[in-house]
Amino acid sequence: MTVQLRGRAEAITIQWIPKYTLLERVGHWLHTASFVPLAITGMVLYFPFLQPLAQGAAGEFFRLVHRAAAVIFGVLPVIYFIFQPRRFIMNIREFLPSKEDIGWLRGAPAYYLFGRHEAMPPQGRFNAGEKLNGLVMIIAWVIFGITGLLMWFGKGIASPELFRWAVLLHDLAMIASVCMFLVHLYLAVAHPLMWAALVSMRFGVTSAEYAAEHHAKWYYGPKRAMEIYEARKREAARSGH
Amino acid sequence: MARLAMLIDESQCTACRGCQVACKQWNDREGWLYSRTRNWGSYENPPDLSPQTWTRIKFTEYEGPDGFHWLFLKEGCMHCGNPACVAVCPTGALKQQSNGLVTLEPELCNGCGYCTQFCPFHIPRLETDVLTGQGKSSKCTFCQDRVTNGLLPACVKTCPAKALDFGDREEMVAKGLARVEALKARGFTQANLYGLNEVGGLGRLYVLVAPPEAYGLPANPQYPALASFWQKIVQPLGSVAFGATIVGILGAFLITRRNIRMEEVR
Ligand code: HEM
Ligand code: SF4
Repeated sequence: MTVQLRGRAEAITIQWIPKYTLLERVGHWLHTASFVPLAITGMVLYFPFLQPLAQGAAGEFFRLVHRAAAVIFGVLPVIYFIFQPRRFIMNIREFLPSKEDIGWLRGAPAYYLFGRHEAMPPQGRFNAGEKLNGLVMIIAWVIFGITGLLMWFGKGIASPELFRWAVLLHDLAMIASVCMFLVHLYLAVAHPLMWAALVSMRFGVTSAEYAAEHHAKWYYGPKRAMEIYEARKREAARSGH
Repeated sequence: MARLAMLIDESQCTACRGCQVACKQWNDREGWLYSRTRNWGSYENPPDLSPQTWTRIKFTEYEGPDGFHWLFLKEGCMHCGNPACVAVCPTGALKQQSNGLVTLEPELCNGCGYCTQFCPFHIPRLETDVLTGQGKSSKCTFCQDRVTNGLLPACVKTCPAKALDFGDREEMVAKGLARVEALKARGFTQANLYGLNEVGGLGRLYVLVAPPEAYGLPANPQYPALASFWQKIVQPLGSVAFGATIVGILGAFLITRRNIRMEEVR
């Protein structure tokens, strides 16, 4: 595909390669669409200063919305697993930490704040930051599910002590996942380096050039990616940077 | 305002259950689940507190040092000095009034049921739809409406055995301690006063003739540790974490905008 950028004489050509399936993209946005109301309606019970919203009929309404959204939030990953089990497992694997993640996270401030990505260790399908986001969300999903169902159906069946732990863990999962979500939101919509991520989540494709630069292990395969990385490091050392 | 309390002398209770009836009548409570009373093997009736039964006499068969006898316990909210239900209620429906009464305003309750799970005495009960979670919690309020108008709670007013008394807490404590001494002098060696210091001092004081456990009362009830942890640590932690994240993102955004220009990005 060719794109004509404003202020540039020549058109540039972007080669698109597939990254996400339709189900993954629709699932991702529905998960977002359920997560946001879940966070808002949950906070109504959580923050003392929102007490007026928690009272009486308003509070009943927010609790009902929380439960309805929770069903969507809880069921989506299960649907994904049922219809695309291989993709599901592949993606979970991709989220697991690897050797390069430490080096990448160390370089992350310079990468995100100053755009220095030349020295970043090669990354797979997801970079270490995206992995962190994915892992926090996966763990939070499990905690939300277990503790949420306990709070929903457990009164009078489970011991009160268990219920108390559930509220506490539900809150901790909320704090971790909402912080992660805010960072994720910022990087996805406002960070100049991350434009390709938003494109892939909307249209399912990513630019080949971007993938080669930012997801080399995925684009070239681990071996070739490391070779390119080592060569680049040697080059940088020779030119004295 | 001076703290009020109910003194319940279980050595006087005859288990006539007039208090149960008076409570239902004054507070407009209906039958609940057990409305079709049947013989279920005990004089006790109904078998448990419920959203419609705020007080009831619990029957226990007790084999004490002086042989078998019944123990009667008038169950209901303890009106704790340090009420966990009030601390965990997200709506403010549960309140501790300046006279010590722990009251529940049904219009404010949204039915979340936290109070039912954090109360150390398992008192508030939820009338709820399990699926939607819509409903209300309810419990004894010491007849707040009567008491603030200078009347006695309905159960106290009705008790024919004079086992119930209500008034200034210090006066009730003094009466209770004196009663315990009198009982001991008459040979009730296990007599004791329950509620003096438990959970901030209870607003419901019991003169008992056997150890609290024999009545099914917790020997050492505690304000739930997780309630303090949740309210004092986790809630502030959330505000700090969100604040720090938002400030961090804004800072990062400003730095990034100065350093990375869109045109240079491939
Ligand atoms: C599987 C998903 C979830 C289920 C089944 C679930 C269920 C529940 C239930 C049953 C309650 C208690 C209130 C009530 O009974 O209506 C609750 C409270 C709450 N939920 Fe969820 N929830 C889920 C996901 C989430 C998510 C994703 C968030 C936030 C990002 C969240 C945040 C909260 C908060 C903050 C509270 C209030 C806890 C408090 O009072 O401190 N929940 N949830
Ligand atoms: S006994 Fe339970 S419901 Fe009554 S004041 Fe104490 S904590 Fe609240």
